[in-house]
Amino acid sequence: MTEHLRSRDRVARAALYLVLSSGLVLVVGPFVWMLLSSFKPEGEIRAIPPTWFPHDPTLANYGNLFDRLDFPTFFTNSVVVAVLTTAGNLLFCSAAGYALAKVPFAGKRVLFGIVLGTLMVPSIVTIVPLFVLSSNLGLVNTLAGLILPYLAQAFGVFLMRQFILSIPDELLEAARIDAASEWRIFWQVVLPLCRPALATLGILTFLASWNNFLWPLVAATEEETYTLPVALALYAIGQNRTEYDLLLPGAVVIVLPVLIVFVLLQRHFVRGIATTGLK
Amino acid sequence: MSAPPETATNTAAVPATGGDAGTARRPRSRSLAGWGFALPFALLFLVFTAGPVVASLLMSVTDLRGTDLLDPFNVDIVGLDNYLRLAGDEKFLTAAGNTAIFVVVGVPLTMALSLLVAMGLNSGLVRFQTLFRVGYYLPVVTSIVAISVVWRFVLQPDSGLLNEFLGLFGVDGPNWLNNQTFALPTLIVMGAWRNLGFGMVIFLAGLQAIPKDLYEAATIDGARRFARFRYLTVPMLRPTMLFVAVITTIGYVQFFEEPFVMTQGGPLDSTLSLAYHTYNQFGFGNYGSASAMGYVLFVVVVLLSIAWFKLLRNNVD
Amino acid sequence: MNRRLLATVAVAALALSACGRDAEDSGPQQGEAVAGGNASGEITVWAMGTEGEKLSTLADAFMAENPEAEVKVTPVPWDGAHNKLAAAIAGQETPDVTMLGTTWIGEFAKTGALDVVPPELVDAKAFFPGAWETGIVDGTSYSVPWYVETRLLYVNSSVAEKAGITSPPKTWAELTQAAKDMQAKGGAKWGIYLQPGQTGAWQTVMPFVWQNGGDIYDGEKFVLDSPDAVQALEYYKSFYDSGLSSRDRLREGETEPKLLSGEIAAFVSGPWNIGLLDELGGEGKYELWPMPSGSGDFTSFIGGSNMSVFKNSKNRDAAWKFVAYLMRPDVQVKWYQTVADLPAVQEAWDNETLAGDQQLKVFGDQLDKAKAPPSIPTWEQIAAGVDTELEKIAKGTTSAADAAKAMQSQASSIGTGG
Repeated sequence: MTEHLRSRDRVARAALYLVLSSGLVLVVGPFVWMLLSSFKPEGEIRAIPPTWFPHDPTLANYGNLFDRLDFPTFFTNSVVVAVLTTAGNLLFCSAAGYALAKVPFAGKRVLFGIVLGTLMVPSIVTIVPLFVLSSNLGLVNTLAGLILPYLAQAFGVFLMRQFILSIPDELLEAARIDAASEWRIFWQVVLPLCRPALATLGILTFLASWNNFLWPLVAATEEETYTLPVALALYAIGQNRTEYDLLLPGAVVIVLPVLIVFVLLQRHFVRGIATTGLK
Repeated sequence: MSAPPETATNTAAVPATGGDAGTARRPRSRSLAGWGFALPFALLFLVFTAGPVVASLLMSVTDLRGTDLLDPFNVDIVGLDNYLRLAGDEKFLTAAGNTAIFVVVGVPLTMALSLLVAMGLNSGLVRFQTLFRVGYYLPVVTSIVAISVVWRFVLQPDSGLLNEFLGLFGVDGPNWLNNQTFALPTLIVMGAWRNLGFGMVIFLAGLQAIPKDLYEAATIDGARRFARFRYLTVPMLRPTMLFVAVITTIGYVQFFEEPFVMTQGGPLDSTLSLAYHTYNQFGFGNYGSASAMGYVLFVVVVLLSIAWFKLLRNNVD
Repeated sequence: MNRRLLATVAVAALALSACGRDAEDSGPQQGEAVAGGNASGEITVWAMGTEGEKLSTLADAFMAENPEAEVKVTPVPWDGAHNKLAAAIAGQETPDVTMLGTTWIGEFAKTGALDVVPPELVDAKAFFPGAWETGIVDGTSYSVPWYVETRLLYVNSSVAEKAGITSPPKTWAELTQAAKDMQAKGGAKWGIYLQPGQTGAWQTVMPFVWQNGGDIYDGEKFVLDSPDAVQALEYYKSFYDSGLSSRDRLREGETEPKLLSGEIAAFVSGPWNIGLLDELGGEGKYELWPMPSGSGDFTSFIGGSNMSVFKNSKNRDAAWKFVAYLMRPDVQVKWYQTVADLPAVQEAWDNETLAGDQQLKVFGDQLDKAKAPPSIPTWEQIAAGVDTELEKIAKGTTSAADAAKAMQSQASSIGTGG
C-alpha cells in the first residue's frame, strides 16, 4: 500500500514539476528579456527580430539612468512612502478587519458595505476631488499627502476580514472566558494566526504603493517630492518616442525592492504556524 | 463558520453559559471595542476615500467639463441625463460588450490558473518554493510598459515567437493585435498571465490556514485526491476564494492597461474597455459624463460582487 | 445610521443647489502690459519630458542676465501631464509658467486660468503663422509658441532610386505614382505607410484636406463634409484600396526598421524621427520629401508646444519676461542645439546651424505652409471621432463620403465648447 502511494507520488511530482516549470518559463521570460536588454544599446533593443543576449553588452544605460535621475531623492521618497503606507495598512486594516469579522458592534454591516462599495469605484473618478481636498488640507507636495489617502485601504480591510473569519470562534471565546480584553485577544491570539495574511497584505500594499503613478504625479508640484515611477516616466516616456535605453534599466531597478520585500515576506507562507494555535 | 471536525477537543469543554456573569455588560463594551478597532481606519477612510467619492458622485449629475475646473459650482445640474445618454453612446455599448467578455472569460480563467499553481506549490511535492513563487509573481510587479514591449515582439505577425512556434506545425498565425477577432482574446490571455501571480499569493496564504492534520485524517479515512479537494479544500478556502473572486472581478471590470498599452482600443474598438473609454472622456474634459460612466462601472461591479457573495459566502455571515 | 444618511443627502443637496451656470461674457481681450527692467523674484516653471529636463540650462542663462530672479523648473512626465494640469487648476496649485501642447490651449484657456499675453511682449509676426494661431482662442492670445514640429515624408533612398524617382512628387497624382513605382520597381512591399486610423491619424490625413483647399472649421461651423474634404478622404482611401499601404497599424519602433530595410518605401512623420533613424544606423539611407500640394494654401500639420502664464501667478511680470527670453532668436537657436526642437521664431532659422542643414531646410520650408487644428476646448474629442472614422476608411468598412458625414455630425453635436 505504501509502495503504491510512493510511486504515484513520484509520478505526480514529476508531472507537477514539468507543468510548473513550463509555466515558469512563460512567466519569467519577459522579465529575463527585460533584464538582458537593459544592457543593450537602444538600437539593439529596437531591433527586429528581437535578440536575447546582448551583442554588445554595455553598462551605459545604467550609468545614464543614475546620471539623469536624482536617484537618492526619488528612491528615498518611494521608500518612505511605501514603508509607512504598508505599516499603517497592516495595523489599521487588521484592526478594522478583526472588528468586522469577530466583534459584534452596531453599524458593522453598514461600514463593511460602504468600505466594500468604495473599493469598486474606479480610481480615476476621484483623483481631481482628492487633489482639491488635499489642497485644502495643505497636503499638496508633501510626503504626508502621498501617504495619507492610501494609509487605510478598503482592499486591506476586506482581505483581513476574510482571513480572520476563518479563525475558529472557539479560540476567541476561550480567551474571552479568561477575561482577556479585546485588545489582548487581538494582539496575542489573532495577529499571530494571521501571519500569512499579513505577509500577503504587506506584499500587496508595498507593491501598490511602490508602483503608484497617477496620485504621486498629481500631488507633487515639485521634483523633490517625486517618487521613482514618476521620475522614470519623466525621463523615459516622451511625447513621440519611448527611450527604451532608460526605461528598461529603470524598470529593472524599480522592480528590485518589491522582489526583495516579496522574498522576505513570503517566508511566512509556511505551513505549521497557522495550526499551532489550535492544539 | 465551519469548525474543524472532531479533532478540536477543547471546544466541548467550553460551557455554553460560561459568560453569564458579564453578559449584561459585554455587548456594549464589545461594541465600543469594535468601534475602537475600526476607528482609525474609518476616519482615514471617511476623509480620503468616501469624501472624494461623494464629490465625484455629485459631479456625475452635473454637466461639469474640464473648462469649469476653476469654478466648479458654475455648472448646470442635469440629473440623470449623463447616465441616460449612455444608452445611445455607441462606443460605450461596444466597450461594455468587450468588458463583459473580458470579465466572463478572464476571471474564471485567472482564478483557476492561480488556484492550480498555488495548490501545486502547496502540495508538498515541490522544492524551490521561493523560486517558483517569485517567478509567478514577476508579471504582477513588472512595469506594464516593459511587459508590453516583450509581448508585442512575441505577437508580431512575421517574426514573432508565437507565429514562429505555430509555423512549426504548419499553422499560419494571424496578426494577433491587429485582428478584430483575435485582439481581445489575446489581451484576455495576457491579462490572465499577468494577474495569476496575485491570486496565487492570496491562495497560498489561504491554503496555509488549512490544518495539515485535516488532510491526513481524510486520507486515512480513504478520501482520494479529488475528494479531498472538493470536500475539504474548497469549503475551507471559501472566504479566500470570495476575496480573490471579488478583487479579480473588480480588476477586470476596470481593465485598462492592456488595451491602453497594446492596442489603444483597436482595431476598430474591438478591445476598447469601459475603463479606457471613461479615461478618454476624462481626458476630453467631460468630467460630468465621465463620472457617470465611472459609476455605471461601479454598479456593475457591485452587482457582480453580490453574485459572488451569494455564491461563496460563509454560512455565518 | 439613518441620521447619517440624511445628513449626507442634506449636504449633497446643499452643494448642488449652489450650482448653475452664469451667462458668459466673450470677445477678444487685451492683456495687461508688463513693467520694464529686469526680472526678479521666484519664477516656477513646469515643462514636460526632455524639455523639462533640459530647460534648466536656459534658466541658468536667464538668471545670469537677471541676477535677482530665481527660476525653478519642475519637469513633468508627458504621461499624465494633462491630468496633472487639470488637477492643479482645480486645486489652484498652479506654477507661474507652464509649457502646453498646442492642442491643449483651447481647453485650458477656456478654464479662465491662463493669463492673456501682454501686448508688445513679442511680435506675432516673428512666429510661423500656423504656430501663432495655436495660441489664439476666441480672438485672444493666451500662449506664445515655443517650439514647433511638422510632418513630411521619410523615404528610403535606395528604393526611390531603384524606382527611378529623381525629385519629390509635387501633386497627389505624382505621389500615388511614386508609391506605385517604389512598390513595383523599387522592391518595397508597401509603397507608403499612412497611419490607418487610431490615435493621431488625423495629423497625417488632415494635411490632405488642407492640401485640397478644405478645412476642419471655417470660423462659424465645421466643414468636415465639404466636397474638398471628401475628395481628400477618397485620396487617403485609395492608398489602401490599391494595396499601396498596409491596413495594419505599426507600433512605435516598428516603422523605422521597416523603412531602413526597404519593406516600407516611405512614411509620414515629424522631426524626431531623424534621431530614431540615425540611432538605428540609418544615416544617409533615407531622404525627406515635402508633402504634395494641391489647390489649398497649406500642405501639412503644425504642432509643438507653447508657453503660458497662469492668471494667479504671484510673479506675473517676471514670468512673462522669462517667456519673452525664450523667444529671442539666439535663445531659440541655443535651444535647438540643446534638444533639437525646431524654433517657432522664424528669424532663428537664419542662423547657420539651421540654415546649413539640408534635412532641416525641408522642415523649414514646410513650416511656412503648415496649419493647426482650431484652438477649441473640444478638439481632442472631435479628433478622436475623426480618428475612429479614419480607421474605418483604412479598414474598408466605410466609404469616404459616409465617413465625412459621420465626422461632421459628431463634431457638430460635440460643438466648440464655447
